Amino acid sequence: MPQSTSIPMRQFGRHDVKISALGFGGHHLGDAEDANTAVRMVREAVDGGITFFDNCWEYHRGKTEVWMGMGLKGLRDRVFLMTKVCTHGRDKELAMRMLDESLRRLQTDHLDLWQIHGVSFDNDPDLFIRKDGAAEALELARKQGKVRFVGFTGHKDPEIHLKMLATGFPFDSVQMPLNSFDAGFHSFELKVLPELNRRGIAVLGMKPLNGHGDAIKAGAITAEEALRYAMSLPVATTITGIDKPEILQQNLRIAQTFQPMTAAEMQALRDRVRIYAADGRFELYKVSLKFDNPEARLAHDFPLDMNQPEVKEMVRATENTGRPFPKVSQ
Amino acid sequence: MRKPSRREFLETSTLAVAGGSALMAQVNANGQIPRRPLGRTGVEVSILGVGGYHLGSANDQNEARKIVDQAIEAGINFFDNAWEYHKGASEEWLGAALRGKRDRVLLMTKVCTHGRDKSVAMRMLEESLHRLGTDHLDVWQIHEVIYENDPDLIFRPNGAAEALLQAKKDGKVRFIGFTGHKDPEIHLKMLSHDFPFDTVQMPLNCLDGTFRSFEHRVLSEANRRGLAVLGMKSMGGSGELVTHGVVTPAEALRYAMSLPVAVTISGMDSVGILEQNLQIARGFQPMDAAQMEHLRDRCRFDASDGRFELFKTTKKYDGDLGRSQHGFPGAEDLPA
Repeated sequence: MPQSTSIPMRQFGRHDVKISALGFGGHHLGDAEDANTAVRMVREAVDGGITFFDNCWEYHRGKTEVWMGMGLKGLRDRVFLMTKVCTHGRDKELAMRMLDESLRRLQTDHLDLWQIHGVSFDNDPDLFIRKDGAAEALELARKQGKVRFVGFTGHKDPEIHLKMLATGFPFDSVQMPLNSFDAGFHSFELKVLPELNRRGIAVLGMKPLNGHGDAIKAGAITAEEALRYAMSLPVATTITGIDKPEILQQNLRIAQTFQPMTAAEMQALRDRVRIYAADGRFELYKVSLKFDNPEARLAHDFPLDMNQPEVKEMVRATENTGRPFPKVSQ
Repeated sequence: MRKPSRREFLETSTLAVAGGSALMAQVNANGQIPRRPLGRTGVEVSILGVGGYHLGSANDQNEARKIVDQAIEAGINFFDNAWEYHKGASEEWLGAALRGKRDRVLLMTKVCTHGRDKSVAMRMLEESLHRLGTDHLDVWQIHEVIYENDPDLIFRPNGAAEALLQAKKDGKVRFIGFTGHKDPEIHLKMLSHDFPFDTVQMPLNCLDGTFRSFEHRVLSEANRRGLAVLGMKSMGGSGELVTHGVVTPAEALRYAMSLPVAVTISGMDSVGILEQNLQIARGFQPMDAAQMEHLRDRCRFDASDGRFELFKTTKKYDGDLGRSQHGFPGAEDLPA
């Protein structure tokens, strides 16, 4: 068993807090075979040196928060726990109810980080900062001691991220897609990353393997190249989805033996994938609704995809109640 | 999303026209469909054009023939199409309906190389001419320029741009252009090549002005260059603006036709829809700037996240052929 210090630790933005350079993505945890497998993976990840755990109120209708809560039982103090709130433009009061539900599912009394989820639509920044909007919930939760730090995430468009920053809200962290394809297409790396570094905001990279590993399946890049590229950027952590024990072992090995790529290596990789990057074919989160969850689509009145696993879950869970929205309990 | 019902258009429209201004009622009595210059080509085009995709969605070929016949009788002279619409059926139905009437219309179709080379384009042209039953096109456009590398692929040596010039030289097409529904920046990248386009087609409607706007970024540039602008998606592409109650068909079409465009192409898959649109276009008087501003303001909230301009914000309107040429999943796997 590797030492728990074997993954490099990095500073969380302007705060005197360290997090592991590889983060455990919450969404894919819900794709694990069953709860036992999920619990085992969470515990092995902590043993392997991962301290950063990502999650979200709307992933798999709450299942991943429940499973992660079970997995972290007794280990809560050893990790940096993040989850996200899914107002998608709706108000503060809904956000606070989601927070209490997330805390209950995760079996904890506080989060290390609470982020606004899925800032993907052009008017999301306006809806976030409006009176009685989700921004007020972030401040209130911090004041109440329910969360230590606050941030936001989105995968759509660098301009929307910049608009969020332009609201002037004091974010501690920002999450965004960072991979070798991004650099050649609507690039967060070029447009947002330097601005965050300049402001001392912790950068949480995600989608190092383009979301579902499509580019790897197509043979455009290997998992190791992809992950090493993302981890070599000036970020606090790189969050990657882990749905199987063998994926966890692969990623632990890459992170435990991590050596940053040189600038020349990174440039060579960007050049190699440029032809695929040019039309966004492996960054579907930027050019399609594929990665926009049903909760977000409904809140913005966009069409649902009846083939999307989460829509199927939603339909299954609500088919006897007639309620289209997942219900937030009091 | 449920398929918008054409009947809903019609009902909404009837209401709109019944309650419309005295001016509308007056001009509808004996109004003609106005014509405008098609850019600097020297020909004149009716302000309303028949969209080719929806023609192929008509109940049957007989309905399509009636749409074409009645459109021509009413004074419409612009007919749109594309090589890939309904696997060629749109072109075949239009060709059959135009038999004996070819000379009365401006016939446009589009080539669907989606990045492939000149020889593919020239083969598609022959096929389009054959299906349309004609020896020449009035306008031939590059279809669906929506991927960021499309301009590079079109203007590479031996790319589709060369096919446009060749076809013009061969006398098979009179005028050339391109179309796309995704992003104003891609249109501007196409224009930046200073290629001798005669026409450019783009989505123009009362929501576009506040969201990734072709009206603001591309229309003025096209006007400056003297290109004929062909507006499309005046009601959102499948009537979304109408079926969701944002605007009436009359408001949507009148806004689009009030812009400095040559023609507004509208999809009409039944005689009923054609009659609705004809009523709006006959004796058309443009909205003034204040009326247009007022309508844009009224639609601002619905415009602000692109929910009704799904051709800009989702994959819904991106054809399977273009997707496959660009390595994207098809509509089955990636509906939006």
